[in-house]
Amino acid sequence: MEPTTNESPRNTFTCQLCDLSSPFIYYGQKPPNTRAIVLLEECFVTKDPFSPDKEKFLVLGSTCSLCSACVCVGSDCSLFYTKRFCMQCVNKHLDQFPHQIQAELAKRKHSSKAAVS
Amino acid sequence: MDADKRRESRSWDWDSPHCRAQLDEIFFRQHDYIQAGSPEHKEFWAFFDRFQRFKTKRDMSGSGATRREDREKGKDRRKTSKVDLGLPQEYDARYRINVSVCTRDIEERLGRTEHRSKQRSSGPGSQEISDCRLALLHFLDFSQRQSFGKLAKLRREQKNLPIFQYRDKIVGLVRSHSVVVVAGDTGCGKSTQVPQYLLSAGFDHIACTQPRRIACISLAKRVSFESLNQYGSKVGYQIRFETTRTTATKLLFLTEGLLLRQIQQDKTLAQYQVVIVDEVHERHLHCDFLLGVLRSLLADHPDLRLILMSATINIKLFSDYFNSAPVLQVPGRLFPIQVIYQPIPPEEQSSRTEKLDPRPYLRILQAIDQRYPPEERGDLLLFLSGVAEISTIQEACQVYATHTSRWIVFDIAPPGVRKCIISTNIAETSVTIDGVRFVVDSGKVKEMSFDPKAKLQRLQEFWISQASSEQRKGRAGRTGPGVCYRLYAESDYNAFASYPVPEIHRVALDSLILQMKSMCLGDPLSFVFIDPPPAASIQTALTYLKEQGALDSCGELTPIGTLLAQLPVDVVIGKMLVLGSLFNLVESVLTVAAALSVQSPFLRSSQHNPDCATARQPLHSNQGDPFTLLNTFNAWVEVSKHVKSCDMFDTVSMYVFIYLSSTGEGTERWRLKEVVQEERLGGAATRNAPSGSDREQRRKRLTERRKLHQMKRDHEQQEGGKRKVLRLDEGQDGEFSSGSDTEEASKGKKDKTEQNIDIQEVKFKLRHNVSELQEAVGVGQDLSSRQQALLKLLLCRGLYPQLALPDEHNSTRKDSEQVFHTKNKQGVVIHPTSVFASDPEVLHVPEDDNSEMGPDRKDSSRHQLLAFVTLLETNKPYLSNCVRVPALQALLLVANSVDSNADCTRLIVDGWLELELREPEEALKVLSKALTLRAELERLLHVQLQQSKLGEAAVQGMSRRSIEKLGEGLVRFLLYTEVTYSLRRLTAFQTQNLYIGPHSDSELSHTNAPGLSLLVPGGEAKPDPIKGGLSVTNFFTYNCLTDSRDLYSECLRIFWSCPNCDLYMPLTPLERMQHEASCRPAGEQQQLEEEPESAKTGPSSMSSLTRVYHCNVCNEDLTLTSTEILKHKRQHMYSAK
Repeated sequence: MEPTTNESPRNTFTCQLCDLSSPFIYYGQKPPNTRAIVLLEECFVTKDPFSPDKEKFLVLGSTCSLCSACVCVGSDCSLFYTKRFCMQCVNKHLDQFPHQIQAELAKRKHSSKAAVS
Repeated sequence: MDADKRRESRSWDWDSPHCRAQLDEIFFRQHDYIQAGSPEHKEFWAFFDRFQRFKTKRDMSGSGATRREDREKGKDRRKTSKVDLGLPQEYDARYRINVSVCTRDIEERLGRTEHRSKQRSSGPGSQEISDCRLALLHFLDFSQRQSFGKLAKLRREQKNLPIFQYRDKIVGLVRSHSVVVVAGDTGCGKSTQVPQYLLSAGFDHIACTQPRRIACISLAKRVSFESLNQYGSKVGYQIRFETTRTTATKLLFLTEGLLLRQIQQDKTLAQYQVVIVDEVHERHLHCDFLLGVLRSLLADHPDLRLILMSATINIKLFSDYFNSAPVLQVPGRLFPIQVIYQPIPPEEQSSRTEKLDPRPYLRILQAIDQRYPPEERGDLLLFLSGVAEISTIQEACQVYATHTSRWIVFDIAPPGVRKCIISTNIAETSVTIDGVRFVVDSGKVKEMSFDPKAKLQRLQEFWISQASSEQRKGRAGRTGPGVCYRLYAESDYNAFASYPVPEIHRVALDSLILQMKSMCLGDPLSFVFIDPPPAASIQTALTYLKEQGALDSCGELTPIGTLLAQLPVDVVIGKMLVLGSLFNLVESVLTVAAALSVQSPFLRSSQHNPDCATARQPLHSNQGDPFTLLNTFNAWVEVSKHVKSCDMFDTVSMYVFIYLSSTGEGTERWRLKEVVQEERLGGAATRNAPSGSDREQRRKRLTERRKLHQMKRDHEQQEGGKRKVLRLDEGQDGEFSSGSDTEEASKGKKDKTEQNIDIQEVKFKLRHNVSELQEAVGVGQDLSSRQQALLKLLLCRGLYPQLALPDEHNSTRKDSEQVFHTKNKQGVVIHPTSVFASDPEVLHVPEDDNSEMGPDRKDSSRHQLLAFVTLLETNKPYLSNCVRVPALQALLLVANSVDSNADCTRLIVDGWLELELREPEEALKVLSKALTLRAELERLLHVQLQQSKLGEAAVQGMSRRSIEKLGEGLVRFLLYTEVTYSLRRLTAFQTQNLYIGPHSDSELSHTNAPGLSLLVPGGEAKPDPIKGGLSVTNFFTYNCLTDSRDLYSECLRIFWSCPNCDLYMPLTPLERMQHEASCRPAGEQQQLEEEPESAKTGPSSMSSLTRVYHCNVCNEDLTLTSTEILKHKRQHMYSAK
């Protein structure tokens, strides 16, 4: 019983924004069995539970290049544009992002608002 | 510039398989993340096509302008921002992908191909390679997003479950209390989430019991999936004989029965830290018992944590039972439900024997159609009491549905069409069905009840309880506000019982009591049940177990009882297995036992199909239904040997066979075999494969298994995730799912059956070594008439006292009006599925053989009885699964009580059957033979049981020959006994004055003189204290019947010569029987001597037959054979006179 209690928090990735949490098996840029594939950032990686093939990986999240917050790759929590940015930092520096991204975010904000109202 | 390049490599064609193969060589090689030929690879090229189309479209709409604009904006933004993020000025979707494909080796290749492309060769140019790489990156990003989306959705759903907010509270309660009750209605997530909460809180070795096997498997799968397989093999299931449990398993789903068996082995249940008992509200027999056992176990294992999970029904009962354990109640997610009482008008109420009137149900369908527009989705769930009712209503609904095209029965309905699900009470709490908005509650449930006096099971319709009624209503409010139509009045509802009657109050407790005995739980009457069963029920079970020889007269387990308690089958079937393993009939008995312990593979509904009946015809055996099952199983295995999967089946016989594989008969059989071998019963059954070919065979089997696993995976992938949307014209062939564990296959509509059969077969093959099965069947096939006779005897002995007597007037009645009588129930009929329902003549006493001795007396040597598996009362009392046996022989060999008059011409069996034999000489012979055979059978069985305890080594040499000898003797006795007798049932009046009773100073008193109490094999003949007469063996009482024609015949001596030894002297009937029981043919005596058993007693050939006899007259211990003892006693008798 003891080892598991200690083990589990160490190996669990938790998004600081949405609280999504899941165990990870690897942190870095070269997950196992990825061959020619390299990640462009240090990521929390797990096995893809939805793939029948056990060798497939799934990136859960990484750290924001600005504030170092641990965030998941979900589009509500972070954005990758050459680097990882958490949504809070994106909003802070929105003007530095290309307008395609700005438009996309505005659109999403709008639609989520519409859904709420 | 782009366009130029593209023109340059005009010879490149993206659609050409050749060109794609060249790119495969670069990106999808054998060791790459995605390999050519894999499903992902296929997906990639499909993605590629879409991606190219998208790019072309975007290029055409001229994104150049936006790009320029973007650049300008970028300049502005530099000025305003405080921090420079260093983002590229020009937007490219590529920058949003956090993956790259390492291209070193590709670039090498690129160098070469660039060279070639200048020479206009057909290889991919750098443009093509980078196009492909870009598409690959987008593809990888796309699949990442897809999978992550699923993960996020899963986590969201977990969070949205009502139980989620109690997560910490539950863990806290479990930490601080040894027993916790978690109550929440179906769909609150308790079964899937609570075990996960405990796992992530660090608990280890968690067991979670389920009432149904199928739930164990599906929950293990679900929890393993939800925890993203992070626990891998740490989440497993274990059901009878099938397990995914490993040493790494931390969470195990298992059946209640199995946990009980584990407690039998491991008294304190030290292997678990937490035990979760799920669905305790269902109040199954095993569950109630398990709770009782766990309750007493907590004292010995104080660290054990026990969690009871229940629907919100009668929670206080559980909490109180465990010393006011804390209750955590999870409110369900329930929308308001409108209740409409719509009692059925008297003219539409059907009586017990009539079909259900569908009109009230159709009116509701109509009302829904009128009141709610088709765009408003919401399906209907209909609660009925049983299968017959379901098919009646289903038929009517189907007609209505075809007419209106607004309804469909089962699966997902297309938009605008409502689904109508017709179910029994199984859908109350145990099955989650989404999308239900309307509920129709018939208010009825069919329940099995048990009449302990007649040992009769009754399937009767009852009003449901208020608790069930509320559960049914609740099913309408899971996804939105709903409507519940109750086909009864509110006053009816108020009169309903609060809770359903727990199973422990309704069923036979034989197995339960046996298990309690083997777990040393003391007196069953004083065991603290959560809701104690009636004492009479317990008493009946105790008596039954004593009758069956599982308990001795003090209520302690006998050796055979100990064995039966370990076999995970009914006592009756257990007995057959034990006996079958003694004789060389293991294979056949296994098949029959397995077939009898699962649902019948024959569909009731297909019985009316003439093609189906014809197809089955050759399988029928007029010996009895178990033989039909045996033939069917053998035929199925035989067929699957010769032909590949389903192309050999015409649709009709397919029904038979698919049911065989899906009801798991084969599986059951396999499992039983494992048990039998485990219990070391199957000495003769396990033939050792020649060791040379052993490895070869194993290797072949391994390859085969791998192939099968692949097939199964492919099938799952195909099926996985796809939701079936029904077509309106489907499912109109009167198919319905039976709502039991084995319903899977029955859902298959005709057109899907083929696909189904494949996967069922694959699954079956995965579990079993089919070739081994075929080999075994080969052994079991084509039973000789001798084997058949023996098998019948074994079945009969297993089934005893479940015997039925054909009514004497049956031969003058119509086939459909044949009547039978059991000891406690008169006028029962044969279930229409039985072979004897269609072929009753084989049970009649042959006419020519029939010499009338009086109005009530038919003499024949061919009287027969039926041994049956169940007596079930629905609208009539039905016998099902019958086998016919020769009456006299079978009774003498299996009955617990045989009483005779002085010359043994009148026999009363079990106090209800009277046999009158015409010839005293014949009577004596047949009785004597039976006594001998039975004594030998008991002896060998005892030795076998002894050995099953000690180990197999000793069995082989010891009794093989005696067993064969006995088998032969039994067969001869069963088949060739030609004794004329009459057979009838005693009237109630006759049974009152059957016995002379104990007599102190009557004329016959001298028979009780110590000098006359003769030694017989197995004990001393004592006067029977109740019946009178002499109890010769534990089942035979001599001369205790009142109407002995001749009071002196008992001591009348007739000269008789023994065929085995040279004895020739006047003997009374009893003396003669006793001599015969101990005197064996000379040849046999030789054999006896060779047996190791007799070697123990002494070296001399005589010693095996002699015993120490204490003569009261001489006051001396003498070592004599039985005959010598007899002579010795007579000596005193004469001298005394």
